[in-house]
Amino acid sequence: MFSVKPIFSFILLSAAINCIAAPMTFKDSTMAMVEGSNDFKRLELSYAITGKESIGLRFFNIEDKQHKVDGGGVFYLNRLKRINTINSQTNLWLYLEVGNVDNRRSKNRQAYLSPTFQLDYETKRIYSSLSHQILRGPHENFDRTQIKGGFSFYETSYEETQPWFILEVMNMNSLNNNTTFIPTLRLINKTLFLEAGVSTKGDPKLHLMYTF
Amino acid sequence: MTKLIGIFLLFFSLNSFAATQKIEVLGMVCAYCAQGIEKSLKSLSEVNDVYINLEKFFVLVESKNDFGIDEKTLKTIIVDAGYTVQKIENLSETIKDVRKKYEK
Repeated sequence: MFSVKPIFSFILLSAAINCIAAPMTFKDSTMAMVEGSNDFKRLELSYAITGKESIGLRFFNIEDKQHKVDGGGVFYLNRLKRINTINSQTNLWLYLEVGNVDNRRSKNRQAYLSPTFQLDYETKRIYSSLSHQILRGPHENFDRTQIKGGFSFYETSYEETQPWFILEVMNMNSLNNNTTFIPTLRLINKTLFLEAGVSTKGDPKLHLMYTF
Repeated sequence: MTKLIGIFLLFFSLNSFAATQKIEVLGMVCAYCAQGIEKSLKSLSEVNDVYINLEKFFVLVESKNDFGIDEKTLKTIIVDAGYTVQKIENLSETIKDVRKKYEK
């Protein structure tokens, strides 16, 4: 019998749940996001109900030799605090997700609740963020901490595409020796946000957001 | 008489001009976030054109009328997009003029 614990840890390590879709955009906007790597695919749709809140749906699929997991949930994102200065913005986000995962190989279904807090600081040339995710389900208790930091190669105008280098470091508190490093190239245009990276374990990752 | 009125209207229309307002915005550091400002402003029927300058932290709004957009409306749009308005002022230049100044 497949235990529930490996499902959660596998999902977390695959980053299939709760990569905050910040920066959230503007009131009444709709955002579509797709993300994928060798083992997982994720689709997310969200709608900004106010200037600082959005709601959305997320579907994901994880598949490798041992697992075949489908999942999905609803989420609520709230920008709790924003500090604007002439050349920077600092945000504190709360992300709440409720959903269900289904391991089709083991026939194991599992509900989850997952709040995440994220603090980020951004200028036109520097980006940094710290997020902490809590994942709770029946008999489960996992935390994940993620740090992202990077810089833009040069400043651009509003109409131009801006390239960034971002290093993502992810650690799952409950497991030993599971720190993952993902060097990423980020491209930002007005409506498009694209990240492509390869983890130090050789796993490629693609992340695309588009705002309508 | 009709001709006189026609000439008067033509003269008046040639001399009417669109108002340009400059909004200084705090926190506007990336195009992906700032696009909300452009889209929201362009959705206003009185707006003719919008120009965003990330380098100098300002947004220009050119209206179809000669008295501009209500400042309260402008401020609400900027704040709803997540930013802080530092100052709103009227400009005598058009967006076309300002674009020429900043875009090489």
